[in-house]
Amino acid sequence: MIDPEGIETLCSHLDVPHTDVRILMLAWKMGCEKQGYFTLDEWRTGMKALRADSISKLKKAFPELTQEVTRPTNFQDFYQFAFRYCLTEDKKKCIEIPVACELLNLVLGLQFRPQVEKLINYLKYQNEYKVINMDQWMGFLRFCNEINFPSLDNYDEDQAWPLILDNFVEWLRANKN
Amino acid sequence: MNSQRKRIPKIEPFKHRVEVDPKFFDKSWKKLDDAIREIYNHNASGLSFEELYRTAYNLVLNKHGGKLYDKLTENLKGHLKEMGKLVEAAQGGLFLEDLQRRWADHIKASQMIRDILMYMDRTFIPTSKKTAVFELGLELWRDIVVRSPKIQGRLLDTLLELIHRERMGEIINRGLMRNTTKMLMELGSSVYKDEFERPFLEASASFYSGESQQFIECCDCGEYLKKAERRLAEELERVTQYMDSKTADKIANVVDKEMLSNHMQRLILMENSGLVNMLIDDKHEDLTRMYDLFKRIPDGHSTIRSVMTNHVKETGKTLVTDPERLRDPVDFVQRLLNEKDKYDEIVSVSFSNDKAFQNALNSSFEYFINLNNRSPEFISLYIDDKLRKGVKGANEEDIETVLDKVMMLFRYLQEKDVFEKYYKQHLAKRLLSGKTSSDEAERSMLVKLKTECGYQFTSKLEGMFTDMKTSHDTMQSFHAALSGNTDGPTISVQILTTGSWPTQPCATCNLPPEILDICEKFRAYYLGTHNGRRLTWQTNMGNTDIKATFGSRKHELNVSTYQMCVLMLFNSDDGLTYKDIEQATAIPHVDLKRCLQSLACVKGKNVLRKEPMSKDISESDTFFFNDKFTSKLVKVKIGTVVAQKETEPEKQETRHRVEEDRKPQVEAAIVRIMKSRRVLDHNSVVTEVTKQLQSRFLPNPVVIKKRIESLIEREFLERDKTDRKLYRYLA
Repeated sequence: MIDPEGIETLCSHLDVPHTDVRILMLAWKMGCEKQGYFTLDEWRTGMKALRADSISKLKKAFPELTQEVTRPTNFQDFYQFAFRYCLTEDKKKCIEIPVACELLNLVLGLQFRPQVEKLINYLKYQNEYKVINMDQWMGFLRFCNEINFPSLDNYDEDQAWPLILDNFVEWLRANKN
Repeated sequence: MNSQRKRIPKIEPFKHRVEVDPKFFDKSWKKLDDAIREIYNHNASGLSFEELYRTAYNLVLNKHGGKLYDKLTENLKGHLKEMGKLVEAAQGGLFLEDLQRRWADHIKASQMIRDILMYMDRTFIPTSKKTAVFELGLELWRDIVVRSPKIQGRLLDTLLELIHRERMGEIINRGLMRNTTKMLMELGSSVYKDEFERPFLEASASFYSGESQQFIECCDCGEYLKKAERRLAEELERVTQYMDSKTADKIANVVDKEMLSNHMQRLILMENSGLVNMLIDDKHEDLTRMYDLFKRIPDGHSTIRSVMTNHVKETGKTLVTDPERLRDPVDFVQRLLNEKDKYDEIVSVSFSNDKAFQNALNSSFEYFINLNNRSPEFISLYIDDKLRKGVKGANEEDIETVLDKVMMLFRYLQEKDVFEKYYKQHLAKRLLSGKTSSDEAERSMLVKLKTECGYQFTSKLEGMFTDMKTSHDTMQSFHAALSGNTDGPTISVQILTTGSWPTQPCATCNLPPEILDICEKFRAYYLGTHNGRRLTWQTNMGNTDIKATFGSRKHELNVSTYQMCVLMLFNSDDGLTYKDIEQATAIPHVDLKRCLQSLACVKGKNVLRKEPMSKDISESDTFFFNDKFTSKLVKVKIGTVVAQKETEPEKQETRHRVEEDRKPQVEAAIVRIMKSRRVLDHNSVVTEVTKQLQSRFLPNPVVIKKRIESLIEREFLERDKTDRKLYRYLA
């Protein structure tokens, strides 16, 4: 079992900050269940999949891993994993807004910079929701993938979008200037 | 054997000897020619019908039919040309008369000629496919006389001139007109149409176009409609008098178009006299006329309906948003009822109870009543008022009528659940204070609500009535059980079942020992007969009759429980500070302040004296028993300063509770729908939920969405993995 300290050490060896998205990708590849901990089994699974048995090989595997993750078929799975990974307690089903914002930035920031920026602003500004649940989380990805931004011309409130996104769009439209 | 060859004698028909007289035709024709002349000269009596018939018969028999026919045609033409000239020569007014006379002559002559030439008609005509004799006569008359250049125009002009004069008020010879048009009809309906009807309709159109323009400049709407109605009736009468009946619809269309359709908008919207003014001033006769007339034209009724709807919505909106009106809820509702009565009458008297109009009114009322979100509360207050005081000078039937009318308003409410909450509150107050004027009326109201909204709506209300009855019975047996023990105060208890009655959070209150004693006795008695129940005294309700001595005067005061607790303190102390009172009674601040205010600061009810003498209660005040208190009445009722209408915070509270109550109802509806449909798209869910709940309230689509999300989170539903518009029910 590698604990958070151990992970930090690992990261410094890999020359990757431990808040980097690549660590998250690694966790995904390993199928990690608990945030901040790698079990032996998970470690083995991950290394085997990456065909790495040393730090340098692991480092070299990152670009390929990044590519693999961003493939559309995998990305949705990775995105969902990221949320679950952040659930700190067993019974919890939601993550707090600040955590969600960080995660969004990490996971979607590269692909969907403008949307993510606005979304994070909105999440911090609104006070109706204090936490985000899985349904809303998945909604964000769908939103980025499907809705034209910044025009928002194909967004239809009468469709089954989570309410938080309806409110987000309304806010965007109101603050167009 | 010879008999076989015997010839049977043939009998041959007797053959007429064929005349091969070359002059046969001419001779015969001359006879006929002369005869015809005589006929046209009114000299027919001297002729022998039989001879002439035979002559013609022979001609046709000898195959001279064609020649005969041609000669006849020529002959007739000649006569008709002569007649035509005579008609042309007729002076001015005699023209039509002359034409008529000659026509009559011609018809008579044609009939005779037809009779004479009957054989030709029957044998030669069909095979040669020529026009029969009588019809030939008509055709020739048509072409030579009626359509002769000098007659055609003059005929039409004369007819139209006469009609115009009649329209302007002159009396004309209708018989002559009738005969003339009849003549045209007999010549063929296309003749009637070409020579008269079409130009007549055109001329009428231009006449009415002009007249309507004139009228509309100088008349108001009501007058104009009267005139239009009159003209319409006139034209129809005219047709029955001297035109073909088929012209009736056509001329009616012309009048409708020129006088009504063309000016419809202007009439309906006319300032000071149009539809809106008629509605405002209840001008039933004018409205009936407008309804009947505009029924005839396209969009007539729909325009009236739309203008009426807008007007009703506007006036309704003003009514419900006027801040003055909102001060008195009973008056507010009364005005709504008056408005409804007014329009019901208009629809029944002037619009023949037309369903489309009734519906337009209903939707207008529904629109503006719901503009004010206090309407449910106010309607409940109105009913409350009527049930408390009864309807002035009314008997049972009248109360029924009033309540039925209020139910009509109730039906328009979109937020019936809000009404339910208020009705419960008001009913509770009525029952507990014994302020209801008629038990019958209360029950009747309940039945109406049950019929309208179903059992669930009224089950709790009925529970309240049951509690009252049960309490009454319990009190009787309690007093019987006590009997003899008449020391100390008497108590009357109403036992309320929690859940049926509107919940009131009950605060602390220290009851005086004498009261506590009797309360305990009751509690013991009750729990003795009802196992496993719990009684909680509602000290924020209830009242007391208490005897008080002020100097030499004795009064009986009726006060609330809280007030009683405060007053009893003064049996042992003359003066007490606010803090003292608060400590002794443990009554919460807000209630205590209200209580003291009503005991010390209300003129005529100031059984306590306050220092300082300010209007408001402050925590540094001191209170003294006011032995200088006087009142004309022996029994003095000291109510607590309370508003009948809700205060702002109370209103918020009630609305909040209503919103909270709605959430589970929406969720239940969603679950019901999803359970039966299994998979459904978002919009359909919203539609179905709205439909299911509309008898209670109109759910907000945003609220529905939120509930769906909540159900998704709690894993009752999920989004479909492929089509994100769909929801799935999770068993």
